[in-house]
Amino acid sequence: MARARREYAETSSDIDLTPMLDVVFILLIFFIVTAQFIKEPGVAIVRPEVDNKAPAKPLAILIAIDANSDVYIDKKKIAPAEVAFTIKDMRLDNPRGEIVIQADVNSDAGVMVDIMEAINKIDGTTVINISAQTNS
Amino acid sequence: MRGRKVRKPDSAEVDLTPMLDVVFILLIFFIVTSTFAREEAIGLEPPPPPAPPDQEEQEPTPAILILVDESNLISVNGRPTDISSVRANIERVVAESPESAVIIQAHPKAKSGVVVLIRDEAYKAGFTTRVNILITQT
Repeated sequence: MARARREYAETSSDIDLTPMLDVVFILLIFFIVTAQFIKEPGVAIVRPEVDNKAPAKPLAILIAIDANSDVYIDKKKIAPAEVAFTIKDMRLDNPRGEIVIQADVNSDAGVMVDIMEAINKIDGTTVINISAQTNS
Repeated sequence: MRGRKVRKPDSAEVDLTPMLDVVFILLIFFIVTSTFAREEAIGLEPPPPPAPPDQEEQEPTPAILILVDESNLISVNGRPTDISSVRANIERVVAESPESAVIIQAHPKAKSGVVVLIRDEAYKAGFTTRVNILITQT
């Protein structure tokens, strides 16, 4: 009598972890699959305020031009002559997705158009994404 | 005798707790590192490649030339304007010749914000295509 009761108590105190493990694994796989390791340029940019913009998805490469017209990719300052090479190099790791230029409103248009030409030569895209914000 | 019987189901069961710990750490790592970077962008056209020199002259399409000079002064077809009246100027020319294309020609030292704003005005005037952005050769 005493033995039977004891065995019963033992099995019921043992929680079955399998369903929780299933859920946790599904969450884990979701986050692994959706994780996109975007390399942020890491400089503060004042974006132009426009009305005609669309979300650029999926993001692949971010190129920043700061107010002094210096080009930053992946937190590093890139010499103007090496921008095309760097983009080509990053395209190997990230063959799909959009390239977005984060051009400061006070940066030189010449620098921005040079990078647009470089992207056009690499990707063949005829419309280049320039980061913008909502008209406030 | 009794002790053996209790241990037997115990040892047949794999202890999942260490694996659960690892899985949870991985899960938390991926939740924390997922940035969900969002970027909203406006589309700008790069300058067209230079035409081969031996190409015969094409039929010229009428163009709206929007010039931005070094000090960010805007002129539409030679008439000085400011950014708020660019759209009205484009629409006025389009009303006269609906086939015209827009050319935004900026000085290399002009601010890119001005160029982006002009392109936005061109979108508002209905130019989703037929816009070229050029840089003044100095």
